[in-house]
Amino acid sequence: MTRRLLLPLALLALEAATLPAQGVVIAPHAVYIDARARSASVLLYNPNAEPAEVTISTFFGYPVTDSLGRIVLRTVDHPDSTDRSAAEWIQAFPRRLTVAPLERQTIRLLATPPAALPDGEYWARLVIAAKGGQVPITGVTDTAKVKVGLTLEVRTIIGMAYRKGAVRTGVAISRLRGAVAGDSLELWSRIERQGNAAYVGTIHGSLVDSSGRVRAEFRAPIGVYYVLEPRYAAAVGALAPGRYWLKLELTTQREDLAPEVILPSAAVRDSVELRIP
Amino acid sequence: MTRRALAVGLLVGLAAIPRAARGQNSGGIPVDATVIGVGMTITTLRDLAFGQVTKGIATSVLPTDAGAGEWQVLGNKNAFTQITFTLPTQLSNIQALPGSTMPITFSATSARWRRDLNNPSGATAFNPAVGTTGRFGPATNATLYIWIGGTVSPAAGAKPGVYVGNVVVSLVYL
Repeated sequence: MTRRLLLPLALLALEAATLPAQGVVIAPHAVYIDARARSASVLLYNPNAEPAEVTISTFFGYPVTDSLGRIVLRTVDHPDSTDRSAAEWIQAFPRRLTVAPLERQTIRLLATPPAALPDGEYWARLVIAAKGGQVPITGVTDTAKVKVGLTLEVRTIIGMAYRKGAVRTGVAISRLRGAVAGDSLELWSRIERQGNAAYVGTIHGSLVDSSGRVRAEFRAPIGVYYVLEPRYAAAVGALAPGRYWLKLELTTQREDLAPEVILPSAAVRDSVELRIP
Repeated sequence: MTRRALAVGLLVGLAAIPRAARGQNSGGIPVDATVIGVGMTITTLRDLAFGQVTKGIATSVLPTDAGAGEWQVLGNKNAFTQITFTLPTQLSNIQALPGSTMPITFSATSARWRRDLNNPSGATAFNPAVGTTGRFGPATNATLYIWIGGTVSPAAGAKPGVYVGNVVVSLVYL
């Protein structure tokens, strides 16, 4: 045990003693498998005082936007050859395990892609299901009593990407538009992925007045697998009538991912004028 | 920040130590911690508990009640996450013969979510049967809280015992 681990583990142990139930820590939250290695791993850590029962599974899905511009996951039960699915040939070992209290366990991911797989990125989702706390069953001394409790189970679904050969990515922005509604700036755009790999980066939108002052802005992680038409909102104060610029920028910078898994791409920007009457 | 959030946050913080730190020595003290990248954790803070109910009378737990189920999620700041539920329609009496069940229902406002703040009052309500898209908070140890309530309807002739079921919450990192 290292000094670096001692403090957090001690605190976690202290916390676990007071918690009725607790999930497992999962890292990383996005898995990238290189075709040359064909394997990767996910680390699970159980900070609880009780063992955690964990099951692992995979499926194919990717983020899309609904009619309200919300980003949701589209699940494809039977992906065809155009779907870039890796769910059928990435396997997790073990698929069932028990993580002891304050212990770590590693999930190995092994890819066995079909022969002659074209270059590019292929996707799947990894499901880590952990059983929550158990309802205490101590018997009912008064036989007239009815007691009710629900056990909660948590499933964390993270992305997996398999990269073969030359992979490249980018995005194209179109149909940028916005409006100020009450105390919010709403921004819509169409973002289409370019290349043969998902665009994983950060989206930054802003509203700038004629003096160059930023009056509203937002920043969020984004993953574009095919096409997104997201709606973003940001708080904005009172705006004087006049001309403003709505600006949107996408970059491949991500604080939460290791630099070596980021596919770099030039920043993409777009802007439109927004008139406040 | 609560002790729980601090503790989990510290682990995530540990996990977030840049990879460049791997294998470095500090003042001659060997450091061999495994750097695992930024992690995510879903913590069940509280099971949904109706407690003791009365036969023939429906009992509800609101998402704002003390008996509501609650999760805390730590993840990537400002990231969006899809929240969905798999909900039971019947609870089973584990102390009676098989077939002894009790209906359970969830309304369009039985669930709530909120960024950063562990307080269901003022949180965004949603239908757990439909799900929603939530968002992590802007802080470094970005947090999202989820609450769920429901209604059980024990029949007048319900057998005594402990009725249990399973609620599954799924969070998709988008």
